[in-house]
Amino acid sequence: MTSHDVTLEWPDGRSRTIEVREDETVLEAAERNDIGLPFGCRTGACGTCTGRLLEDGDDALTHRRQPRVLKDRHLSEGYVLLCLAAPRADCRIAVGSSVHTELVENPWK
Amino acid sequence: MSDTSTPGDVEPGHDHEHHHEGPGYATPQAAIEESEREQLAYVMSLYVGTDVDAPDFVAVVDLDPDSETYCEIVDRVEMPERGDELHHFGWNACSSSCHMDGLERRHLIVPGQRSSRIHVIDAKDRRNPELETVIEPEDVFEYDLSAPHTVHCIPDGQILISMLGDADGELPGGFLELNEDFEIEGRWEPPGEIEMNYDYWYQPRQNVMVSTEWAAPKTYYPGFDLEDVEAGNYGRKLHVWDWEAGTVEQTIDLGEEGQIPLEVRFLHTPESTHGFVGTALSSNMFHFWRDESADEYRAEKVIDFESREHEDWDMPVPGLTTDILISMDDRYLFGSNWLHGEVWMYDISDPSNPRRADSLSVGGTFGEIQEVQGRELAGGPQMLQLSLDGERLYWTTSLFSSWDDQFYPEEAERGSVMLKADVDPRRGTLELDEDFLVDWGDCPAGPARAHEIRWPDGDCTSDVWQ
Repeated sequence: MTSHDVTLEWPDGRSRTIEVREDETVLEAAERNDIGLPFGCRTGACGTCTGRLLEDGDDALTHRRQPRVLKDRHLSEGYVLLCLAAPRADCRIAVGSSVHTELVENPWK
Repeated sequence: MSDTSTPGDVEPGHDHEHHHEGPGYATPQAAIEESEREQLAYVMSLYVGTDVDAPDFVAVVDLDPDSETYCEIVDRVEMPERGDELHHFGWNACSSSCHMDGLERRHLIVPGQRSSRIHVIDAKDRRNPELETVIEPEDVFEYDLSAPHTVHCIPDGQILISMLGDADGELPGGFLELNEDFEIEGRWEPPGEIEMNYDYWYQPRQNVMVSTEWAAPKTYYPGFDLEDVEAGNYGRKLHVWDWEAGTVEQTIDLGEEGQIPLEVRFLHTPESTHGFVGTALSSNMFHFWRDESADEYRAEKVIDFESREHEDWDMPVPGLTTDILISMDDRYLFGSNWLHGEVWMYDISDPSNPRRADSLSVGGTFGEIQEVQGRELAGGPQMLQLSLDGERLYWTTSLFSSWDDQFYPEEAERGSVMLKADVDPRRGTLELDEDFLVDWGDCPAGPARAHEIRWPDGDCTSDVWQ
């Protein structure tokens, strides 16, 4: 099975490059490597595992099923669900809990 | 009841003397008289959505003022997997089963709101509960349901859980029934009765259940987006069910003033058809009751919490009334305005005309008290629990991990707190107990959030009477 080098980048500057097979998700590969990324429903509904693709274009990752929680504005900004996303090319992804907090803002402040 | 009672004194099949062999208390007043002061609390505690690489847990908190570990988390029951979002939970049996010889209030049903995993905890040893069994998400999804929320027992030993979405986190939600061996019995209601779901409460003597509406899981899970309100993706209806038949008999649209009806509570007295629901986004309280002459339920706004201007906010800040409860004597409605930072008590001795008795301004955006024992509160009052005797009100500060991040981002770094007020139910007053503080910021794996609170032997939001 083809695999790709996926570099996970945290806001504090830390990064890890892991090999992710095309038939597994980034979250599954991270778990295989004992890397604790946030996640919740694992069905694409909750967004807890949201990462942001740090590459131009959106063909480096493909979602296994519909990332229902992500709105069009999120998809166009490169947000991906690591519980569903499998790689098709080497890529870099912003990860960590601060990424999913970017999906919404305080609407009154 | 003696053999010489006149027929007609009591409803058929209902034993008014309640030969009390099963769990719970014979009446709400018996719960007040017979219960002892709460010595322990179980509190939903969570790491989901943070960078702390640890599972959520049930905290056992020491509430005995004479104990050396008063106000400390004395035990933690860790969940087997990460990512659950422990939120609400309930008992396998309560006072509604007090006719059931041999049934015990012993097992806690603890759902993961995000994971849809349902945990069963054996709390036979109240101080050291243990995980007994787990229903995996895949087994829940088979019934095309997800996002478990409110847990109540059904009087004969089964358990009913409100489910907010289908297997994909879309609508419709529904209800999942477990049998007394904690196996999935099936979907409780015929599919298609409701779209949105959230909390529910049942009043078996009146053969009625009322359920409320949050939104589809995929809508509320990531946080609150005002666009979703404008698109009609948030709820504003009450559903009145035939409890025995499991079908919706009436749906009440609460309108613009009734947006996001969350916690729903009937009065405890089993005769009553009156109850209250807090509409969180509109920040209003609705009273509902059965109108005998019209043969249907009605709902009317009876308390309106005004939004408040704040210099750091562009728009007026809504109170966000996220939790309510009714004292066991049915005299007071307590509630929290999570965004404002207020807990309040209203006299509901005339349920149509609640009267403000007292309130505390603590935590949140406007609270006058922003720290207790030097600890910054970093959030507003949220889930409430009241002692059975009505003299001690406790609360935690986390609403939902993603909504906390949106409105109180510092809570992720500092963790939640549990606070307490002393209540004088004769004078109608609340006083913050500054000697009381439980701090989830000190948990071994890192700061945790804290949500729903339960007492080991029944509380004002668990017990129902037949």
